[in-house]
Amino acid sequence: MANTTSHPKTSWDTLHKNGPFDLKLLQITQLEGKANIPSAIDRYNDAAKEIQNLIKEARDNNEGFRAYGARWSMSSVAHQKDRMHYNSYMNLDLPIFSDDVHQASSFEKSNLFFFQCGNTIKEISQALGAHGKSLKTSGASNGQTIAGCISTGVHGSALDVGSIQDYVVGLNLITGPNPEDIVYIERHTKPALANSFIQKINSKVIRNDELFNAALVSLGSFGFIHGVVLEAEDRFLLKRYVKKINKDTALKLAKTMDFAASDFRIEGEIDVNGKPKRPYHYKVFINPYIDDDQYVVEAMYKKPYTSRYPDPFNTIEKSVYRDLIYLLIKISEKFPKRIPFFIKQLQKQILPDVNEESLGTLYETFWDAPYQGPAFACSFGVDSKDSEKALKVLIDLTKKEGPIPGIYAMRFVKKSEATLAFTKFPITCMIEIDGVLWKKSRNLMSLKEFSKRMIQVLQHNNIPFTIHWGKNSDWGFPGLVEYMYGARAKEWKKYRNSLLSKEMAQLFSNGFLDTVGLSNVNEEIEIETLDEDLIASLLD
Amino acid sequence: MTILNINSFRNKLVYLSILLLFGSCYSVRLVSTNGAPMPDQNDRDDWYRDKKVIVLDTVIKANIAIDKITIPVKRLGCESGKLFSVEYKDTFGGNLLYLFTFGNKRKLKIKYVCMKPEN
Repeated sequence: MANTTSHPKTSWDTLHKNGPFDLKLLQITQLEGKANIPSAIDRYNDAAKEIQNLIKEARDNNEGFRAYGARWSMSSVAHQKDRMHYNSYMNLDLPIFSDDVHQASSFEKSNLFFFQCGNTIKEISQALGAHGKSLKTSGASNGQTIAGCISTGVHGSALDVGSIQDYVVGLNLITGPNPEDIVYIERHTKPALANSFIQKINSKVIRNDELFNAALVSLGSFGFIHGVVLEAEDRFLLKRYVKKINKDTALKLAKTMDFAASDFRIEGEIDVNGKPKRPYHYKVFINPYIDDDQYVVEAMYKKPYTSRYPDPFNTIEKSVYRDLIYLLIKISEKFPKRIPFFIKQLQKQILPDVNEESLGTLYETFWDAPYQGPAFACSFGVDSKDSEKALKVLIDLTKKEGPIPGIYAMRFVKKSEATLAFTKFPITCMIEIDGVLWKKSRNLMSLKEFSKRMIQVLQHNNIPFTIHWGKNSDWGFPGLVEYMYGARAKEWKKYRNSLLSKEMAQLFSNGFLDTVGLSNVNEEIEIETLDEDLIASLLD
Repeated sequence: MTILNINSFRNKLVYLSILLLFGSCYSVRLVSTNGAPMPDQNDRDDWYRDKKVIVLDTVIKANIAIDKITIPVKRLGCESGKLFSVEYKDTFGGNLLYLFTFGNKRKLKIKYVCMKPEN
């Protein structure tokens, strides 16, 4: 039987130390060993029972319960003040054979894989690699768990692919303590798994596009995500280039995404018509404190896989003394005007080397991003058409009311079908400022104040935006979610309240959901519109 | 400033320099490009945050005839039995200890992380 250890706690923190937050109990479940339960499916079902026991315990104690993975989110989205469950040891993968695929499925059977919630992107990439497959995209690194990624919308800069949740095609949720409280959800227009397989994982199937889309970016609130089915693709290579290009060219590309018409040309990346190829990945780095007429950009082009390529792990990494960074931050808090100077000095450590080139798989290209101390990140999604304008507005703010110890970057992501995906524009430009966490001082505003001002200036300039769920922001800003998602937020709540009992909706809520106004289960409008047909399975 | 004060200041400077020299060190870390590190919920503030790190910090008694020292990886915290990373720290003090004891005492500071078991 899977075994859970419970640790009484007083506080919990994110990986990057954006807390601390109050916590009563930390629970960690470890699976039964292979020697005792040889079948992976039996061990998976055994773990589901254990999670249901934990949910029952939380309910009986009138407490909340929330799972988390690698705790990479910098917002408090993963936090629950009562009980938190650490998923990292739940890393099974279940084989999917041809007979396990739905007869109406349009997916290539060999591309479907089932992973338990605590598998990290790194573990999944390795498991897929053993089958000659790859994830379609990842975040900028590989340490996040799959359940955490999809719950918060983790993305890379794959402009024609999307975010991680966009290749998830099935969700196995534990929505309560009873045997009938395990559901498997997928789209009715894109079924993946056969009912026979779903029976093996003791789940009730619901095939419903709208419900699936709502549950996809769930903020951890549609129940315990126990497993996901994802669509992989054949392994590929990424040829990566780092270039310094004219600022206007970089920003025009960000706005138009029209690479063919651009004068951004890389030798070897030209099509048969002599036009520049469209990259798989495009990223722009911006130091807001330098008026440079050139920006550093990173572009990656997809190549067919071949086993004959040089080992991409050929560099020796050197890290700056941590104490030096802390010292610079302390000085910055007292003398903020020194921040641009410090950033310039550390630029070599922060930005990739210009003219750097590499070739590797997705796994090798987006490798480990080790912990480097307390950090912050604010990330706004805007329509790529608004990217130049939004960047200017945010840089002006940073220079005039800062400086803030961080640098900007722009990444680009295809639109998601998930109801609360922040990648909601045809191509969303994610404008992000990352840096070292600082403390408010007499001369330097707090991160929350800065975040608030970012929201205000974007609203003032009539730029529609979203905010990355896992990043820092002034999440209590009045009407923020309504401004970002409008009717879609109500729709999300409607589906959540239809899938979960009122008791379980409360149990799977947290302070973050309360703050942004997504937890309320008692609103009249919700009760009026609740409809059992809403979550009916629309395909057998 | 009196002569006494100058001497006192000089002494402090010498002591401080010796202290810094003994403490001065560098680390080299070997990291596997495959496998995932064994996770852990810890409050560390370094590279090992959220990794289950095992620290060996000891002085090993040997003699001049001993060439290599082999240390087995313990099972506790290393269920997979596979190593993800190994960090060796070299200190000036450790080198001096080796030198002045003719290799009889060898300062050892190693941190290692095992791989997360595959289920």
